[in-house]
Order: sequence, then C-alpha cells, then structure tokens
Amino acid sequence: MSLLDGFATAAQPIYLLYALAGVFLGTAVGVLPGIGPAMTVALLMPLTYSLEPTAAFIVFAGIYYGGMYGGSTTSILLNTPGESASIVTALEGNKMARAGRGAAALATAAVGSFVAGTLATVALTFVAPTAADLAVRLGPVDYVALMVLAFLTVGALLGSSVSRGLVALTLGLFLGLVGVDAISGQQRYTLGVPVLTDGIDVVLVAVGLFAVGEALYIGSQLRKGPVHVVPITKGWRSWMSRQDWARSWKPWLRGTAIGFPIGTIPAGGADVSTFLSYASERRLAKGRSKEEFGHGAIEGVAGPESANNAAAAGVLVPLLTLGLPTSATAAIMLAAFQRYNIQPGPLLFENESALVWALIASLYVGNVMLLALNLPLVGMWVKILQVPRHYLYAGILTFAAMGAFAVNFTPADVVILVVIGVLGFFMRRYGYPVAPLVVGLILGPMFEAQLRRALSISEGDPATLVSSTFAVAVYASVLVVMGVSFWLRRRERGLEEVMAAEERAAGEPAATPADRAADKDKEMA
Amino acid sequence: MSILRTQVRDLPAGQLVFPAGVAALAVYVLLGAADIVEPISAGAVGPRVLPYLVGGGMLVAALAALVSVLRGDLAEAEGGEDVDPDRHTSWLTVAALVALFALHIVLIAPLGWPLAAAVLFTGAAWTFGAKPRGRAAVIGTAIAFVLQTVFAGGLGVSLPPGPLFEGVPFLHG
Repeated sequence: MSLLDGFATAAQPIYLLYALAGVFLGTAVGVLPGIGPAMTVALLMPLTYSLEPTAAFIVFAGIYYGGMYGGSTTSILLNTPGESASIVTALEGNKMARAGRGAAALATAAVGSFVAGTLATVALTFVAPTAADLAVRLGPVDYVALMVLAFLTVGALLGSSVSRGLVALTLGLFLGLVGVDAISGQQRYTLGVPVLTDGIDVVLVAVGLFAVGEALYIGSQLRKGPVHVVPITKGWRSWMSRQDWARSWKPWLRGTAIGFPIGTIPAGGADVSTFLSYASERRLAKGRSKEEFGHGAIEGVAGPESANNAAAAGVLVPLLTLGLPTSATAAIMLAAFQRYNIQPGPLLFENESALVWALIASLYVGNVMLLALNLPLVGMWVKILQVPRHYLYAGILTFAAMGAFAVNFTPADVVILVVIGVLGFFMRRYGYPVAPLVVGLILGPMFEAQLRRALSISEGDPATLVSSTFAVAVYASVLVVMGVSFWLRRRERGLEEVMAAEERAAGEPAATPADRAADKDKEMA
Repeated sequence: MSILRTQVRDLPAGQLVFPAGVAALAVYVLLGAADIVEPISAGAVGPRVLPYLVGGGMLVAALAALVSVLRGDLAEAEGGEDVDPDRHTSWLTVAALVALFALHIVLIAPLGWPLAAAVLFTGAAWTFGAKPRGRAAVIGTAIAFVLQTVFAGGLGVSLPPGPLFEGVPFLHG
C-alpha cells in the first residue's frame, strides 16, 4: 500500500521531470571518464541544495542509478578501463567493442542493468520494511557491533592491503572528531580556528577526495595523445541478435542473485559482486561461449553488469533501515539525508514514510527511464566521452569549488576542500583507498554516540558490549566475513594471473600496465 | 581495487613519508586527547575515549603500513581511464593547481564568484595543456557565468556576483 502511495507521489509530472533530470545528469556525468558513481553523487549534490527533500531524493535516486549506467558505457567504449565497479565489464565488453560488437555489449549491459535494477528494487521493497521492523528492537550495544562490522569490512577489505585500508579509516574517524563534541560540548582538535568548531562537513570531504583529489592525481599523470573511442555500428538491428538474448538472460538473473545479497551485507559492495559474477559466468560457459571468454564473451558483460546494479540496490537496505553506509556512494547519500535533518534508520519508515516510498518508487521509474534513454542516446554519450580532457578536469575543479563554497558560503570551506583534495591526491598516489575515509568520517560520530550511550547505561563496564546475543552474533560474523573475503581475494588474484597469462599466450600487444612495465624493463636492460 | 595492477616503481621515499606522516598525526591525536576538557558531568565515558581509540588505531595502522613498505610491498597507485601509469608524477602540475585554488579563494571576496571561478577554470585548463590559451580563457569565463546564472540566478544558491555585476539581476542568488 505504501509503495502505491510512493508511486502516486513519484508519478506527479513535476517529480517525473526531476527523476528524468536525475537519471539524465547522472548518466551524462557517469559517462565522463575518470568519474565513478561516488564522484557523480558528490559532484551533483549542490544541484539539490535548493530543492525540497522529496524532490532532492528523487533526483538523487536518478543520479545514483544513472551514474552506474554511465560507467559501463565508458568501460565498454574507452580503451582504458576506469572505476572498479565496472572494470570487470571492461574485460569482455571492451574486447566485444573492438571486435565490432560494441552495440551488443552496450545493449546487454543496459537491459541487464534494467532487469537487475528492477528485480533488486522489488527485493528492496520487501526486505527493507522487514529489516526496519527488526532494527527497531536494536539497542546501542547492537549498533556498536554493527558499526564495528562496517568499519572492519569497509576499512580492511576494500583496497589492496589491510593496513592501508585501516590508515584511511582512522584518518576519516579523526576528521569526524574535529569540532565540538555533541555530548559534552567540549572542543576537540579545532586548533582554535572558528571554522573548525562546527566540524568538517562531509560534503567537503567527499568532493575534496573524489573530485579534487582525483583531478590532481590525473593531472599529475595525464595520459597524453588523442582519446580512442571504439566506434559502434548504428541502427536497432545490430543491438542484440536472438542468440545474444539467449545467451544473456541467464547471466542477468544469476548476476542479480549474486549482486543483491552481497550489496546488503557490508562486504566490499559492488566490486566483489561483479568479480564473483564474472568468475561464475566464466566457469559455467560451455562450447563457443567458453572459447570466447577472454576475447569478448557476452556473458562476461551481462552477468557483472547485472550484479553491479543489483548490488547498488542492495546497498540501500542497510542505508535506509540501519543508517549504515557500506560504500562511499552510500556514505555520501547518508550525508545528503543529514543535510535535510533526516536520519536514516529503523524509524525512517515510520517518520518519513512518504519520502522513503517516493524514493523507492522513483527507483523503479528511474530504471525504466534509463533503459529508454541509454540505447537511443548512445551517440551522445560517445560525444561526451570525447570531451577534451583539459576542459573536463578544469570543469570538475570549478564545479567542486562551487559545491564547497555553497556549503556555508565562506571561502574557508574551499580551503578545507583543497587540503582534503591534496590528502586525496597523496592517498591515490601511494595506493591508499579513499572510500574507508568517507565511511569513517560519517560513521565515526554515530559510533561514538552509540558507544557512549551503551557505556553510560552500564556505568562504564565494557562487558556490556558483548551482553546481547545479536551483538555476539555480529562479532562472530565479522570473523566469518573476514575469512571468506580473504579467500575471495586470493581467488581474484589467481584469476588475474590466469588472465594475464592467457593474454601473453594469445600474443596480444601488452595490455596490462604490469606487462608494459615489464616491457620497459626489457628495453632498459 | 583494480584488476589491472600497477606497480609504482620509483624510489619509495614518498611511500615511506606518507605513513610516517600519518604516524606523526596519530601521536598528535593521542597527545591532543589529553588536552580535551573532560567535564565531571561526562560520566563513565567522556569526550576523550574515542580520540584515544582512534589515535591508537591510527598509530598501529600507520606503523603496519610503514613496515609493509619496508618489506618491499610497494603500493599500487590507482588506475583510471585518463591515467598513464608509466608516466612520472608531475609535481609541478599538482603545485600549480593548488596555487590556482589559493588564488581563486583570495579572489572570491574582491571580484565575486564568477570572475574567481573563471580564473580557476582558465588556469586549470592551461595547466592541463589547453591550446590555444585565448580560447580556453573565453570558454572558462563563459562557463563561470553559466554556472553563476544557473545556480545563483536559477536555483537560488547565494554565490556573490561581485562588485562589477552587483546590478545584474539574473546573477543574483
């Protein structure tokens, strides 16, 4: 019933227009090379500053799904793979495009994203209210346990090394400490600077890390020379043959089944799910498809792309019902909620019922719009891919500066933006993941509030933290999740080695940076 | 996390300096925690508890990262569509962009947002190699005023138009 109310809201012409604007902008910005979903959401946040909450979140939902769609277009059509969530798509998709089957790759990605996005949104519709009902019964002790789980999975599992992930996480937690302590009213790490007493705004950190840090990093190592976009054949008929459909529909469904559950648990989000889907499609392939894997198999695009979008919907379950972001993009969405003084969590479905259901309904609407927009407009996306890089990054920096200034209309915020941007540059340069920092920053204050509440109820006895069955179960699952993910990571590495070996065996020009580096070594020797 | 892993193969100086810097920050966090006023009313857990936990965690993580670099585990720099991993880092570009931001920040108050933004865009485009420079300046100015018109004039975001354009109604938030 509530979902129908949501549709009634989302179907009002003005909100349909907002949804269209959201998916359109999200796709356009997501197509831009170098811009992943997290940066898309962070950069476009200023757009929603002046909107009322319902309109703002409908735009946001569109941007969120649109950014995901846009990323796959980039990785299929550009020779150089980008953001991690769609990098698996690039493995087969880019080879298909170069073999003249780019239109089919784009089509299976788009239809797969639609199928997965819709099915996963249906799952979200049913799972979220139930999860919220259960979450109402959780106390501070349970929240502490859940946040420890989120910290450890996001901090230790994203990125290549545990220690580097934890460095990023603790940096974020520290930035979250700066300002006046909400409970005791004492100043912490403000250095006597008035601007810092209000704390460091999450928007500044997100835009600083993702937009400024990324642009500085790309500026320092800009790829020279012309941009190569793989040409695609025009016309409806070349999109997908009957055989392409027959080979795609099972991977779509399998990708959805893998993506959604992985999205809901804090275990690395979309990255892990796309990799798992790719690995399972590769193993299940038979006959001709098996031979095509590594040279452009359509299953290798259909599966991971569906998993990616299903995971994106899955991530919304903990975000909406527990207020726990499990990816950088979700953390930025949470920041957007907080700007409107809306706290996602178990009470959200009671207190802001109309808003949540309008948001969920607009996810369905947005998916349909994306399917309708994406394929016919492919020529336009290709043009966006060819934007000269100097104007693209100058534009990103200018837009970031505007977003930062617009937070409080003070130049001091732009100073903070640049400082965070430089930090983001060094983190990228030296291989530290930035996502744990954003999650740490936003979860830190919530973690502290719950921890102190739990401990003041128990009068300082730390044993209270393991006093509930739920909390103990969560801590146990931390161990399980860690174990499973280390196993997955080993497999992922194994797969990479296999693929690198195949690539060499196939006698193709060196395609991985590692290979190129090896070639260079030979030249030097 | 990328499938195509990139080995940074230059000297590990920065690789060591970064975690060392984080370790130094961790020490500051721990020392600074002692200076936080803890009111008697704070009860069992006051405002110092999390700072101690975070500082301690940061120190351990930074030292672990430092040790892993010393043991030869050099980090992979992040990949990306427009990143050429084989190029040497151009520190000059980074410094120039940061300097441009500083100039932009200083100019917002006297010149207003659109002109300060035009300076930032044009300078950044030049730094990224835009040619001819005159065209980049024209495009930068145009984009700055489009942003001002759309966001201040259209969406009501209060970007200051500056003394020169004080009287132009569509540039006002």
